Amino acid sequence: MEIIVKATGLKKYYGEGEALVKALDGVDLEIERGKFTAIVGTSGSGKSTLLNMLGGLDVPDEGSVRIGSQELSRLNAEQATIFRRKQIGFIFQNYNLVPVLTVWENIIFPISLDGRKPDRKFIMDIVKLLGLESKLDSFPNQLSGGQQQRAAIARALATKPSIILADEPTGNLDSGTSDDVVSLLKMSGSQFHQTIVMITHNPEIAARADRVIQIEDGRIAYVSANICD
Amino acid sequence: MFRPISVISRRSFQKNKGRNLVAAIAIVLTTLMFTTLFVLSQSMNKNIVEMTFRQTGYDAQASFQSITGEQADAVASHPEVKEVGNSLVAGLAQDKRISGRQVEIRWADESYAAHSFALPTVGRMPESPDEIALDTIVLDRLGVSHELGSQVTIGWIADFVSKEEVTSTFTLCGFWEGNESSYASMAWVGEDFAREAAFAGESNSEAIAGKRMAQVSLYSERDIAGTMDRILSDVGIDGLEYSVNLAYSPEMNRMAAQESLPMYAGMVLVFLAGYLIIYNIFQISVTADIQFYGKLKTLGMTKRQLKKLIYMQAGRLCLVGIPVGLLLGYVLGAVLVPVLISFQTGSVSANPVIFVGSALFAGLTVLVSCMRPAKLAGKVSPIEALRYNDAEESNRHRRKKRQGSASVPALAWSNLGRNRKRTVILVCSLTLGLVLMSCFYAKNVSFDMEKYLAGLTIADYQIDEATSEDYMAGYDPQGSTLDDRLVRLIESMDGLEETGHLYSHETEIALNSRTVENIQGFYAGERLNEWAAYDAAGVEAMRSAVENKKASSVIYGIDGIPLDVYGGETYWENGSFDEALFAAGGYVLAIGPGMETGIQKQAMPTVSVGDTVSIEGREYTVMAVLNNLQPVTEGAKENGAQDAFYLDFIMPAETFRECWPDNTLRKLYFNVGDDKMDEVQEKLDGYFAETGLTLSVTSRKSMEEQYERETRAGAVMGNAISVVIALVGVLNFINSMVTSIVSRKKEFAMMQSVGMTKSQLCKLLVFEGLDYTVLTLSVTYVLSALAVGVGVRAMVEGGFSTFRFTLLPLVLCTPILAGLAILVPYLCFRNLEKDSLTERLRSTD
Repeated sequence: MEIIVKATGLKKYYGEGEALVKALDGVDLEIERGKFTAIVGTSGSGKSTLLNMLGGLDVPDEGSVRIGSQELSRLNAEQATIFRRKQIGFIFQNYNLVPVLTVWENIIFPISLDGRKPDRKFIMDIVKLLGLESKLDSFPNQLSGGQQQRAAIARALATKPSIILADEPTGNLDSGTSDDVVSLLKMSGSQFHQTIVMITHNPEIAARADRVIQIEDGRIAYVSANICD
Repeated sequence: MFRPISVISRRSFQKNKGRNLVAAIAIVLTTLMFTTLFVLSQSMNKNIVEMTFRQTGYDAQASFQSITGEQADAVASHPEVKEVGNSLVAGLAQDKRISGRQVEIRWADESYAAHSFALPTVGRMPESPDEIALDTIVLDRLGVSHELGSQVTIGWIADFVSKEEVTSTFTLCGFWEGNESSYASMAWVGEDFAREAAFAGESNSEAIAGKRMAQVSLYSERDIAGTMDRILSDVGIDGLEYSVNLAYSPEMNRMAAQESLPMYAGMVLVFLAGYLIIYNIFQISVTADIQFYGKLKTLGMTKRQLKKLIYMQAGRLCLVGIPVGLLLGYVLGAVLVPVLISFQTGSVSANPVIFVGSALFAGLTVLVSCMRPAKLAGKVSPIEALRYNDAEESNRHRRKKRQGSASVPALAWSNLGRNRKRTVILVCSLTLGLVLMSCFYAKNVSFDMEKYLAGLTIADYQIDEATSEDYMAGYDPQGSTLDDRLVRLIESMDGLEETGHLYSHETEIALNSRTVENIQGFYAGERLNEWAAYDAAGVEAMRSAVENKKASSVIYGIDGIPLDVYGGETYWENGSFDEALFAAGGYVLAIGPGMETGIQKQAMPTVSVGDTVSIEGREYTVMAVLNNLQPVTEGAKENGAQDAFYLDFIMPAETFRECWPDNTLRKLYFNVGDDKMDEVQEKLDGYFAETGLTLSVTSRKSMEEQYERETRAGAVMGNAISVVIALVGVLNFINSMVTSIVSRKKEFAMMQSVGMTKSQLCKLLVFEGLDYTVLTLSVTYVLSALAVGVGVRAMVEGGFSTFRFTLLPLVLCTPILAGLAILVPYLCFRNLEKDSLTERLRSTD
């Protein structure tokens, strides 16, 4: 199988002396194209730091990340931003919708920033899939949490990224909605051939992934391949 | 097409109304100050140019004092000439009622009249020989009503040698508004009338009648002399004497630019004040929104796009603020112009430069102010944004050395240190205005009217003979306007304290070799060059005096007030004054040029102490050399023209009257009690009304008023700018305080949830406000004391000032600032309390 994400020797330390925190302490990781990977771990274990580094939001003290054939450390901040908005779809626990934009505007926001025209038909397919047709002209604060997260998912998918990185997308949702969101992600992932990396606390959700990686104290503690799918 | 940046810019603009209002006000104030300064400097420029036109008497580029009709026509036909105006002089008005004002009786074509600011606005130019057109000044002096068809009887002379007076009666066919600052009034008559007068005067070469003059308007204002020379040689009359209008000389532009210098200084200050507040507002709002910008960056907005977003917000604010500022600034400028411009009626310039320039400067200020905040927003790291708070990064690494007590005042003080940069900006912003205010105030109160007046007037009142300042026709030593009747009237007034008299006589004296040496030693090097640069004829006259060992001389006979003043040491250059010896006769005092006392080491350019001078056959010994005293020596020479080198002397009035018994009184000085001023003025007005005379009366009071008119400019300007800058500082102060409290809403709720009482919170906020004020005021007091004590002291030194150290404006502002420092946090606290504790704790911005 093709390796789409490859992290080597990632290290990130904060503070110094007694207050030194090893957020990441030597992580090596490979993720295959088209797979759904779940990252689990206790809070403060370094999973968010890892995800941010995979997406180029954060820069490691040591080590490197390669996405496809692109070495992220070779990009300057500006290039990294552009690479990110083209190649990676982010989904956050707090949705990160722009409050002054409507749902539709939020969805096409990264594409417009790139100066591209949105693929209207493609995006409408996603919108329908996520059941957001009637909410396109609403502002985020008029939506429920589940609806907001679906809008965020639509935004992440709209750029046709090869990878979707999701940081506890269900963290603020009730269990029913959580299930729906994960199902939608999986469905769209398989439909659009995308690689999904998702942080979660929820063992049930982790159980639905192709592979589960457990992080403790900044290191990979355990990797398991689920066979149920 | 969806343009994400402009959509976000527009919508977040609508969301943050309060913040935008403050920013818009700041931009309005900044633009207002720029516009006002621009209006003032442009109007100043315009008025200076207009005033020079009035003084030179015309606004064409060049003029001929003597030219024939054919020559004028030839010049007019040259392609580089736009227009030639012609005039023919008939004579000069000679009439008691208009004494002191030169009124030239001439024929002129419309072009000449128009370029001389003397084209009738009511009626028309005269055609028949019995018609006349006059300005309102002359009409008023003659007592003729402003009505076409009125009969005007006027006495005039056609030649200056015979001085034969003629009286003619005309019908008024046109008039226009006269201008006091022009050197003379024109009385236009018909061409035939002028020709006839010219014919009568032709026999005499000294006559002014019959002189044909012309004014030349060119297409280009560049190198007027060169163009004129070329034109004259083209039409074959090279060498014909012409003069270039002084108003077009580069000197004028330099002078106008110099007048605008304080305006430029003002602009720098405005820029600084504008920067301090607009920067602060943007910095605060970017800091408050940093998480929002971080979010946008996470979603793929680049640094450039984020910067663009900030600049678009600023642009939006400018679109609102700048037009309002321009409008208000123009109105304020228009109100201030008449106050500022004392030498003219003061027309307000509407030059587009004002609006374009002010808008550009205001826009530039906003742009520069946004640069750092935009950079801050642009370089936000998506990760940092998630945990950003209001404190600076570097503070995180600093550790408190002592175990700080958690008392409310200590907490307040440490809150100030949380954002040092903002504290510094805030303190600077307020300090700037307050220090400026202190300086302007200190400078204004340091002015010493007595010192200023001492150089200009030596008595409460000074009355001059009507011809004393007639620089065209010259002073008439036997003039009869300051006669015994008037002198008796004044000297018999009760409340009269002192009087003084001045007579003058013009003669010629021989120079001894020591005097020649003195003159040559004094007028050498740079001083000579400087003199030659503006008065070549004067230097020529000095050289010829030295060569021929002969100089013209004005002998002043004085007693009373002027002699007492000269007795004071201030005016002594050499020698000593023995009053009794001087009064006995046989001694004279020599007058040197008006120099800064005590600077020059050389001998004064006049006779030396102890020399003997022979004045019209009598021998006198020079007792002392004095500095020039304007109120004594000011006035016209007897022949009007002044191309001669003068050495002037003073002798007792008594001796003078013995030598020249026919000379009449030239100047009368007198002092009266302060309570009699109005009475004196009334008596003088009554006397002048009754006799129809208009003598020049210089009173201390009118000089004071004149000074105030002339200096109001600086005072008003300085105060207005410093007050607006201080206001901007206060706005900045209030805005910063309010936002710093609002942005910490949650933090306060947290503190309250762990046990801080309401009154403790309120106290905390008030303490913070007071800390800011104490900090600002201490910096301001120190800086103002330095600025006033050192800067202002040095600035007023040597002028008409007596330095007095004062910080009164600061003392007055202290309670106001302290009041604000308590009131603003208190109101914010009340506002906070509107939401419940849990609501505030839960709020997520």
